[in-house]
Amino acid sequence: MHPPLSLIFFFLTAGTSIGLFIFMYAIEFLQLFGKGQGLPKEVILKLGVLELILIGLGAFGASFHLGHKLRAWKAIKRFRTSWLSREAVFSGAYGVSLLIYLVLNQLGVNPFFEHFFGILTFILGVLSGFSTAMIYASNKFVLEWNSSITVIYYLLMYLMLGSTLMAYFSHLYNLPYLGTFIFLSFLFLALGLGFRLAFNIRQFYLKRPTMNEALNLPHNRPIRVVDTGTTTDNYCTEEFYYRKGKEMLSTVIPVAYLLTFVVPLFLVLYAWITGTANHWILGLTYLFVLVGSALERWSFFVEGNHVQNLFYGLYPEEGYRLRKGYMERKETKISLYG
Amino acid sequence: MAQFALVIDLNTCVGCHACATNCKEWNTQAAFGPLSDFDPYGAHPEGVWYNRIMTYETGEFPSTQVFHLPKSCLHCQDAPCVPVCPTGASYKREQDGIVLVNYDDCIGCKLCSWSCPYGCREFDEADKVMKKCTLCIDRIYDETLPPEHRKPACVLTCPARARFFGDIEDPNSEVYKVIEERNGFVLFPDMGTNPANHYLPRIETKINLEEFEKHILKPDNPLFLEVMKRHHVSNKAPQEKQVEEVV
Repeated sequence: MHPPLSLIFFFLTAGTSIGLFIFMYAIEFLQLFGKGQGLPKEVILKLGVLELILIGLGAFGASFHLGHKLRAWKAIKRFRTSWLSREAVFSGAYGVSLLIYLVLNQLGVNPFFEHFFGILTFILGVLSGFSTAMIYASNKFVLEWNSSITVIYYLLMYLMLGSTLMAYFSHLYNLPYLGTFIFLSFLFLALGLGFRLAFNIRQFYLKRPTMNEALNLPHNRPIRVVDTGTTTDNYCTEEFYYRKGKEMLSTVIPVAYLLTFVVPLFLVLYAWITGTANHWILGLTYLFVLVGSALERWSFFVEGNHVQNLFYGLYPEEGYRLRKGYMERKETKISLYG
Repeated sequence: MAQFALVIDLNTCVGCHACATNCKEWNTQAAFGPLSDFDPYGAHPEGVWYNRIMTYETGEFPSTQVFHLPKSCLHCQDAPCVPVCPTGASYKREQDGIVLVNYDDCIGCKLCSWSCPYGCREFDEADKVMKKCTLCIDRIYDETLPPEHRKPACVLTCPARARFFGDIEDPNSEVYKVIEERNGFVLFPDMGTNPANHYLPRIETKINLEEFEKHILKPDNPLFLEVMKRHHVSNKAPQEKQVEEVV
């Protein structure tokens, strides 16, 4: 699939915003039960404004992949069936709810409403991330994405972005949560790495449909594309098969792994074990995760193979070849829930 | 419930691209147009087409067969592109099962094309909306046209008469009958889309000349004389033939 840069941008901004809010509000929430010391109001204000700006930038950036930006509000219409619609609703509601929470928090008038909107923002943030991941995971025609692993590690990436940035801010504002967030960064980085590896390993075991299945021909019949009707590329071959990306993929994936998971894990472990936490180490950890995530998202899109490529002979061949004359018909069952 | 669809006979389709050309010609000027083109006379022409013709070769050399597959929107009965549309711009009509895009509501997010396993939806970079085959809905309901012309442009133009149009749910329709009689099949049956457009499979026709000579040209065949006479007449020069007929 062709990677839309605006969606990668949305992932980075919305991921940081939602990830940061999840941890920021978790500290505030624990304070309700007398655990921890909460956060100073000015820190909440600074972080909250940053989260608001990021989600705003994300929404603005994401609109660039739309043909008609001004009609984007219409995306709320099919909330009942479309994950994209749900994403739009939840992201928008997250931004509004976050603003209300910040105002209530700063005014400090009513703790009930403050925490009501805090919890609401928390839930909307998670739902927004979940819906975005489900857009990809529910697409049963891109088998690489059509799995619960996609959703889990998408949410883990949000938590990675949030926890590494929160660790940096803990150090910056001298908060007593530095150790916790260094541990959480390590935890989510390790889990993220595990699920990303699972995502990649799963691709080797996919039962891919064949061109014979696409054209409903007997399975033992060799078939090849002679002509696709046009001499040049068209929308289908450009949108669903990114030729340049496929060539670069073998280089980009290792770099993405290195920047997103390996280097930050080493930095966090170094900070944890030696106890040397400074701006450089914690700032670099977040920056590495940020840049790595951009490459990781790019690879995620390019790795996806749409089944319509079968008609153009651009789909990867399945893992095994049928013997000549072997008449068994392979049943491909693709379920929506992986 | 009615379900309008195309049935394409792969046996007679010669891959002349007339359906695609006439589709483009009609739809670029009609209600759902234009179908934008970029660099049409340059080195890399590109544009929106509702209908594309693929050519495939099956078998192994020397016993290969080439067939052409015209592929336009299949108007699936369980269209996966409809529920994913966030605005409801993409919809399936209840009265005739045609899947359409409302250009005024389409935000151009391309998600419907991601959800089509056939690659039958194309994004128009000029209009910034998703476009697809409409089964020439502006023709088939146009009462100013004579009834025999109320068919999709591709069906009307097909020189090989390989395309049929009608209601595949109506047992009295031509398309229902050809699907039943000639084992009509659909593309990607495993995807759960239940496409409405059907294809009629290729049938290999073989003429065994040895058999012909052995049985039909035998002197004790009661029709032997007639066969020979016709053969004799058809081999004569046209002028002689005329004279003979007059006589």
